[in-house]
Amino acid sequence: MLFAFDWTQLAQQIVIGLASGGVWATLAVALVLIYRSTGVINFAQGEMAMFSTFIAWSLVHHGFSYWGAFFLTIAISFAGGIAVERAVIRPVERAPVLTVVIVTLGLFFVVNGAARWIWSPETRSLPNAFSTRPITVAGVAFSIQDLGTIAVSLGAVALLWGFFQFTKLGLASRAAALNPEASRLVGVRVSWMLALGWGLAAAMGAVSGMLTAPALASFDQNLMQPVLLYAFAGAVLGGLDSPLGAVVGSLLLGVLVSLLGTYVDWIGSELRLPVALAVILGVLLVRPAGLFGTPQERRV
Amino acid sequence: MGRRALGVAVWVVLVALVLLAYAFAPRFVSDFHSRDLAEAGMFFIAIVGLNLLTGYTGQISLGHGALMAIGGYTTAWLMVHEHWRDVWTIPLAGLAAGIVGFLIGLPALRLSGLYLALATFAFAVAMPSLLRKFSGITGGGQGLRPIEEAPLQITGLSGTVTIFGHSMTQNHFLYYLSWGIGLIGFVIAWLLVRSRVGRTFRALRDSEVAASSAGINLARAKTLAFAISGVYAGVAGALVATMDQIVNPLSFTFLLSIVLIVGAVVGGLGSLPGMVVGAFFVEYLPDLSTHVSTKPGVPDFVYGAAIIVVMILLPTGAGGLLRRLARPLTTRLYLRP
Amino acid sequence: MARAIYVTACALGALVLATVATGAASETGVTSSQVVIGGTVPLSGNASAYQSVAKGAAAYFRYVNAHGGVNKRKIKYIYKDDGYNPANTIDKTRELVQQDKVFAIFNSLGTEHNLAIRGYLNALKIPQLFVASGATTFGRDYKQFPWTIGYQPNYRAEGTIYGRYVAKTNPKARIAVLYQNDDFGKDLLKGLQIGLGKKAKQIVAKQSYDVTDSNVKPQISKLKSKKANTLMLFSTPQATIGAYFAAYSIKWRPKVYVNAVSSASNILGLATAGSSKKETEGSVSIVFLKDPTDPRWRRDPGSKLYRSIMKKFKGGNPNDVYAVYGMSAAHTFVAALRKAGKNPTRASIMKAATSLNVKNDPFLLPGMAVHTSKTDHFPLDQAKLQRYHNGHWVSFGGLFRVR
Repeated sequence: MLFAFDWTQLAQQIVIGLASGGVWATLAVALVLIYRSTGVINFAQGEMAMFSTFIAWSLVHHGFSYWGAFFLTIAISFAGGIAVERAVIRPVERAPVLTVVIVTLGLFFVVNGAARWIWSPETRSLPNAFSTRPITVAGVAFSIQDLGTIAVSLGAVALLWGFFQFTKLGLASRAAALNPEASRLVGVRVSWMLALGWGLAAAMGAVSGMLTAPALASFDQNLMQPVLLYAFAGAVLGGLDSPLGAVVGSLLLGVLVSLLGTYVDWIGSELRLPVALAVILGVLLVRPAGLFGTPQERRV
Repeated sequence: MGRRALGVAVWVVLVALVLLAYAFAPRFVSDFHSRDLAEAGMFFIAIVGLNLLTGYTGQISLGHGALMAIGGYTTAWLMVHEHWRDVWTIPLAGLAAGIVGFLIGLPALRLSGLYLALATFAFAVAMPSLLRKFSGITGGGQGLRPIEEAPLQITGLSGTVTIFGHSMTQNHFLYYLSWGIGLIGFVIAWLLVRSRVGRTFRALRDSEVAASSAGINLARAKTLAFAISGVYAGVAGALVATMDQIVNPLSFTFLLSIVLIVGAVVGGLGSLPGMVVGAFFVEYLPDLSTHVSTKPGVPDFVYGAAIIVVMILLPTGAGGLLRRLARPLTTRLYLRP
Repeated sequence: MARAIYVTACALGALVLATVATGAASETGVTSSQVVIGGTVPLSGNASAYQSVAKGAAAYFRYVNAHGGVNKRKIKYIYKDDGYNPANTIDKTRELVQQDKVFAIFNSLGTEHNLAIRGYLNALKIPQLFVASGATTFGRDYKQFPWTIGYQPNYRAEGTIYGRYVAKTNPKARIAVLYQNDDFGKDLLKGLQIGLGKKAKQIVAKQSYDVTDSNVKPQISKLKSKKANTLMLFSTPQATIGAYFAAYSIKWRPKVYVNAVSSASNILGLATAGSSKKETEGSVSIVFLKDPTDPRWRRDPGSKLYRSIMKKFKGGNPNDVYAVYGMSAAHTFVAALRKAGKNPTRASIMKAATSLNVKNDPFLLPGMAVHTSKTDHFPLDQAKLQRYHNGHWVSFGGLFRVR
């Protein structure tokens, strides 16, 4: 049996897995951004990304080029993220974590409903930034789009990393997340730093949505729900507080899901999500903070 | 002494009022609407259980809808394959979900906070796919349909139910059933949080390290909380199957788990009476939302906006509000609601 | 045994009904001026795109009412939101029955959803008319559920057609199947196997996907690796578009058969835009409605009528093929109501619905008839094959029966 093994198929599935993982990575990073700055998981992250994708679609339909729409959407989403934080998160800033989580769940329905309300629920498509023409290398097919997707994800993460590492604002926001009281004393406006976190996450989400829609060739208001689940999983696998972990975790997850669906017949493709989730649970039991996360200290 | 007597009197009046409300509520609503009440009772049971886990023990679960699925499928399966009468399946359904809850509690020993929330959420997300996959037991996508496959096991299929010579409509019966179980569940929960076990739970919530240094067995307390909470969810699931007379993977998606946690938080974590408010909130909100407009998206928008507004106005849920309102009374009477 | 139990239950249900509906002259939901019917569709949540079915039907009823109604009775059609959750379908259906006192349930949407209420409606002898699902059971199991009748060509029959067609035209085909892991996908697959008959071995690979995750790239790649040259897409629109795209991106160009749920012109247009003209060229599907996005029907009187009703009676987006479907179902209901006599009863409408022979449905393909009988609870059992050529569907061959 072994000599009949189809190595091309294995390579092909790994490529497919990396391409989907690359798409999930951006949303996973967005989740991590908010978790790091506020200690909350934003269940509306995917829907916000979907909403951004619809904005991009509208812009393209009003004559913008893809890249013009791309950057304008990122800017709008950034502002939108800040606005959302000010409007609905700030009022519950001091409430228990779970209250904030529930607000994000409410936001999930609000944003989804708004998108259905503004743009009717029908299937549509977003043009591709990159060529989708298949290129074959040693029997394995991939496209510029696949490479472009991964490149944009990594690029966005690199930009973020630079921002947090080298800019004053970035340092201030890290400080605000790590030690709010001390930051406040040295003059950091902590509350606005949280809003900044939301803005950045929304911008990352916009990138994710605009990469996901072309990768599936069509989209509607349900675009990001499966992506959100995979992004959760990817982020948890990598460690909820590590952006790099989120990227690596998502790529690993992409490959894992792709291979599980292909080679374990009993699982088939329909159970790949549950099984992937179970595998992640397994990882968590060994390393509760994920692969790249900081282990939580226990306070007495 | 006088205050003490007054305190007891207030208690007696409260209990009497609750029992009266329970007995006579169906008189004030139409037959059909007592069915909605029955559903609210089902939600009540599930979120009281969730509250024991999340509110009193501090373990966030976003997967209780999946435990309800275990209970619902147990009931439907026993009816279809073992010809059990629907109401007699309820204890076993609770037990089954309790065991699964216990098993979920095991990994919870290693996970905390939002990691646990996500792990339980994963369980909720996976449940419909699992139900479809194991179609030999679950009937796959079509689910199990006692109404078609075991109609004789359904109480009140003829439209009326007679208990001890007293006859009532099926909807009234369902109301009495679910709120009857709800009241019993409430009392058990109430006694539990005041017992030694309840104190263990709360110690765990407030600080795991302190709890374990005080000699509390963390593993046992956590898995016990998960198991008890699972029993409540399973019973609620059994009631779903009893009311709907079918079970289907589409009825137990992750949205159900979200509805439950929303109900528990709106009701107010750490408050048992608040759960009544939470139950009514999640039962009636979807309908109210579609009443606003049926334009695509508008119901979802209104639904979400209502949740956000309530959370902003009542960050600690209805329970927090109740506590504040009752404070003048309770401080005077040495009572805790 | 099960049937005996069932009959008992029906008898019990009948007792209830007898006590509820006293005074035989008037039927529940029917007055001298109106007939009240109801159904459920998802107005909220992920599947809310399907609400166009109800909106198209509602527009048609308003059109009929504006022209005097049926026997001077206006049709009041109440559709309620079930959020695509069968548990809610049950609640809303009970609400329609017990509170709104509907005459019949009409065109409620979804397979699982209709299964959830079938037992209840049959026990109470309330007609469950023109179920908006292609699951075979709604037409086939009429002996056990005499108060239920389907509507569209059923999925199994559709699969059978593809099977027969492949067996006839390409006996050496190596077939790959992508199917959704629910009744919809599995019924189509089953039909395909029936249609292929002895040639069922030619299905060299099958892959399923879950409704919640329409990224089908891994599946398509695996199907290609089994050296298949024919691809069956038993999937919903998004997964279908994704499948074309995935096949294109791994340089696979099989002969594609795409099921009717996903073969609207705009869907194929999106699939072409996402892949290439060559990828969708030659795809085969069946068709029974006049697709409003198909330029073939631009001048067709039926399609024009459809557009004018959608505009005048606020049916929503006219380019939505689901609305045509709803309108056609509504047209059939009106025909059944006319046939059910001056004073329709639940029994008489059921009798009328099971003895239809409507040849003038303007929303169906020319020549198609809505035909039912006591033993035929499949109203639409005709279709045509069509081939995608140069960006358009072109039908070929005659009408044939799909059973």
